[in-house]
Amino acid sequence: MNADAPVLRGVGLGKTYGNLAALADADFTVRPGEVRALIGSNGAGKSTLIKILTGAVLPTRGTVEIEGQAAPLGDPLGMIRRGVACIYQHSNLAPAMSVLDNIYLGRQPTRALGIVDTGRQRREALDLLARHDIDIDLDRPVGSLPTVKQKEVEILKALALDARVILMDEPTGWLAAADVARLHATVRALKARGVGIVYISHVLDEIFAVCDTVTIMRDGRIVAESDVAAIDRPTVVRLMVGDKLAGEASGAALQQRHPRGTGVVRMSARDLGKRGVFGGVSFDLHAGEIFCLTGLIGSKRTELVRTLFGSDRFDTGTLEIDGRPADIRSPQSGMAHGIGFVPEDRHREGLMLDMNVTENLAMATLDRHRRGPLLSRGSMARAGRQAIDELSVRPPDGGKLVRLLSGGNQQKVLVGKWLGRNPRILILDEPTVGVDVGAKAEIYAILRRARGEGAAILVVSSDLEEVMTVADRIGVMVSGRLVATHDAGAVTQEQIVREIGGGTA
Amino acid sequence: MNVAGMLRRDGIAQHLAPNALAIALAIIVVVFAVSEPAFLTSGNLIGIVRQVAIIGIMATCMTFVIMTGGVDLSVGPVLALSGLASYFALQAGMPLPVVILAGLAVGALVGLVNGLIVAFLQLPPIIVTLAMLSIVRGTALIVGGPEQHLIRNEPAYSFIGTGTLMGLPFSIYIFAAVALLMILVQRRTPLGLLVAAIGDNERAAYLSGHRIRLTKTLVYVICGAGAALAGIIQSSQVHTALATYGPFGTELDVIAAVVLGGTSIMGGNGSVARTLLGVFFLGVVNNGMNILNVPIDIQLIAKGAIIVVALALAARRA
Amino acid sequence: MKIRFSSAALLLFFAVTLAFFSVSAPRFATASTVENLMSGYAFVAILAMGQAWPILVRGIDLSIGAIVGLVGMIVFDLSLIFSVPGYVILPLALLAGALAGALNGVLIVYLHLQPFIATLATLAAYRGLTYSISGRQLVPGLTTTPIRDPWITGIETYFDLGGSIGLSRLINMPWFPLSFFIMLAVFALLQVLLLATRFGRDTCATGGNAEAARLAGIRVGAVTIAAYAISGICAAIAALIMVARFTTATEALGSGAELTAIAAAVIGGVSLAGGVGSMFGPAIGAFLLGAILIGLTLQGVPQFVQQIITGVILLAAVGYDRLLVLRRQRKLETAATGAGR
Repeated sequence: MNADAPVLRGVGLGKTYGNLAALADADFTVRPGEVRALIGSNGAGKSTLIKILTGAVLPTRGTVEIEGQAAPLGDPLGMIRRGVACIYQHSNLAPAMSVLDNIYLGRQPTRALGIVDTGRQRREALDLLARHDIDIDLDRPVGSLPTVKQKEVEILKALALDARVILMDEPTGWLAAADVARLHATVRALKARGVGIVYISHVLDEIFAVCDTVTIMRDGRIVAESDVAAIDRPTVVRLMVGDKLAGEASGAALQQRHPRGTGVVRMSARDLGKRGVFGGVSFDLHAGEIFCLTGLIGSKRTELVRTLFGSDRFDTGTLEIDGRPADIRSPQSGMAHGIGFVPEDRHREGLMLDMNVTENLAMATLDRHRRGPLLSRGSMARAGRQAIDELSVRPPDGGKLVRLLSGGNQQKVLVGKWLGRNPRILILDEPTVGVDVGAKAEIYAILRRARGEGAAILVVSSDLEEVMTVADRIGVMVSGRLVATHDAGAVTQEQIVREIGGGTA
Repeated sequence: MNVAGMLRRDGIAQHLAPNALAIALAIIVVVFAVSEPAFLTSGNLIGIVRQVAIIGIMATCMTFVIMTGGVDLSVGPVLALSGLASYFALQAGMPLPVVILAGLAVGALVGLVNGLIVAFLQLPPIIVTLAMLSIVRGTALIVGGPEQHLIRNEPAYSFIGTGTLMGLPFSIYIFAAVALLMILVQRRTPLGLLVAAIGDNERAAYLSGHRIRLTKTLVYVICGAGAALAGIIQSSQVHTALATYGPFGTELDVIAAVVLGGTSIMGGNGSVARTLLGVFFLGVVNNGMNILNVPIDIQLIAKGAIIVVALALAARRA
Repeated sequence: MKIRFSSAALLLFFAVTLAFFSVSAPRFATASTVENLMSGYAFVAILAMGQAWPILVRGIDLSIGAIVGLVGMIVFDLSLIFSVPGYVILPLALLAGALAGALNGVLIVYLHLQPFIATLATLAAYRGLTYSISGRQLVPGLTTTPIRDPWITGIETYFDLGGSIGLSRLINMPWFPLSFFIMLAVFALLQVLLLATRFGRDTCATGGNAEAARLAGIRVGAVTIAAYAISGICAAIAALIMVARFTTATEALGSGAELTAIAAAVIGGVSLAGGVGSMFGPAIGAFLLGAILIGLTLQGVPQFVQQIITGVILLAAVGYDRLLVLRRQRKLETAATGAGR
């Protein structure tokens, strides 16, 4: 067989949910012995593409070929049998069972009466270990192994199935630095044996360390394909976060920047740290400004802002609010200090999907609607109507279940829930992920209005276009450190891109 | 995640689910009424309400527990223990309010223990309340022994279960009061909204600054107090306190009424008012089967089958 | 390694309990206590080993007490009313248990019911069925007639092992009930099934990570149904032992047995989080529970207190299980300090 013939090839793949295109017209190939990086922001369509390739999702359009043969779509077991294995971000192993059992999960060789032929199983496993030069104790329960070893078990599991292509979804997300190098050695060994690898990661260092080619996605489309050797970091970042900054967007951004807002410091962080997560973070957040924290996914921005709100704790450093030390140990105390928090994952952490808009809007302000021991539904409905009006939630129906709203309107409801408290400090984590362009603009307008009313606003965002649009000041985080802060008007996008890309650039 | 499909499915869930039980109830009433004219007499209908009062009170009070994703299997023995507590308070010559409070306090205390363990230690509610079932039953047997304690010459106490007011049994008023109170709590208090919020998305409720553990504890206290009230009514009705009242299976009747009413056993969706519908459905089925002389064992099987069918339909929708 | 360690800890705790009661309770350290323990708790051990299977696949079986009652009544009817010979009754009884258990599994797998609600419903249904087929009510004259079929009463046989090997001359040896050997046989069979066969591995995988099991091509539904069937068969065996003991069956036979069985299984290290457990633990757990209850009885603790103690032990056992799970999670978290986002 021609060594250059793709082992896995997707042609014209598309997937639409309702009228939202999660993936459009994607052509994707992997050749034997190729390590192809697949990168893009959240919601760029990576996971949809991967799910189509593993058979977890049935594409609306397009075909998948494995070694030139058309593969059945939407059939996970069929894909595994044809040699497409996926190593998911979250473990796909049975933790209490031994390494040996996990490698042969569901297909141990047996003798009569279904008794497992442990001798043969062990011989085959040892053979596999020797062939791929992996050293692991076959009898240890998987749960007792360090995470990097667990990843190796998953790789072994794929190899035992004679995988031709292995998809690795953020394989180093849970690993310490030394272990990353280990995993990369394994990846190179696989490559040398002609296995095709798709490597999904947000860490540019890794892509430049281990990948041959890179596919960059944005807004459900593949925007670039390149040899890694022929591309540099700023280009990658720019392609990833988009550079449609010209024209109206920058015009809108320039119209009103208020670095340091009214000049009053609302929140002052000094040397905040959480062991093994982030450290040495110091910044001031002023009333009447929008401060954006940007960086790559995994740079620990979410972890940082969670400790500011109180849903998590920092270990070291001090936090002052309005010049007084604040001891924030729970969301309640965070709220008592006037903080509001819009979490990143609105479905898992933000909204009650099976409750209606009015109820969701009232969720953080129940005290306002209390009449003695009772809750005034009338007062809730009034507040709801007003908020729906101000946020232009569509349809403007307070009785609608939140589940039935579009992503953008869901997000408006979530922001509105906190605005109802007139928060002195509002923290938003990726406020426009999975939100359409129109709703994005509306959310920016809502944030600017809150800023105008004197709120101090902290936005975590990976979308550089968004950052350049709304920020008054910009902070860049890299690997748990706040490496730079700029006044938004006094910095170019290129410089931010360089800083995001890491200290080496 | 086809939006149109979701809308369609949601439409069915929204409109058919609550009405399906009401329709089934209507059909059953018609069937019983046609096959046995005695069914539709006012005496029998009042009898049905009186019969379901005890289970009904427990079910309305357990609805919140199930809405938060929990369950309370210990209500049967709580019913027995609170009856005993009231009996001993009567024996000690306490005034009626103290007697009733003693009974309720016992139930609230058991509920408190259940709630604290479930909410703060995060142990599975099934196992916790199963263990508590055994513990409370043992306690009741130690306190009361295996013998019956007759409650004589206590007209005020006996009025609770046997008295009539304006032609209706007094226990019906209590049931109605509890049901209305719980409906009010669900629809018109922060607690009611919070219970639904926790069942829907506990993490989001926490991040909205609500006291999740406290609320969870409280719903078990309410459930325990409800079972205790049922115990007071029962002991008053039969003039007896006995440690083995509320036998194994009582909790099943209660849970059945709640889930038949459409409250999801996984938490979230639920309604006290619909629980009442479930209570009446089971009550009518029981009463009708009694009138038609269906033997008790077939009734047990039928009950199991009804629950399975109702839940399977609910699971299909979800 | 961990499993072996926890088994050792359990054995140690068992030994300490025995030692404690030997010192503190009069007449505890005697042959008759050992005999009581073996004859009174062998069937509890069988129930606990059976219960371990639903728990292994992340479920629970509350209906085993009702299955015991149902199978007991079937044996009663077949033997006394229809005079079916014992060697036919025995396989029929096991079949009935298997079917009752499998039905639980079918409700859970195909109707997507929560295990506890499905088995709570069948608890009512099976108990109702027991009443409706009760030979005691169909033929009231039989209530006082004992079952005499040697195949069934033979289960209640005691062997003077000590006498036959001559050890009795040295110390007072207990007589070993046949039920104890049945328990050992069930233990051996299930332990092999769990540890050495593909099916056992599939069971652990299903409970440990159902998604991974499904992706590995394991028929998760079939495995789940089989797990509940095993629980049903064990309940049937327990029913046979109990009927042989009492030479009759009542409608209430086995009620409340699920509580002790779940307690014994959880004490024996079968994790409610699924996928972790052996047959050794539940068996020892049952005898540990038995030793505690017998010891307390000998100390003069009233029977009702024992109910309380059973409940408290169950709470303590799930609390400990929860602690282990939390510790495992924390370890994972510290191992993953570089965590995703």
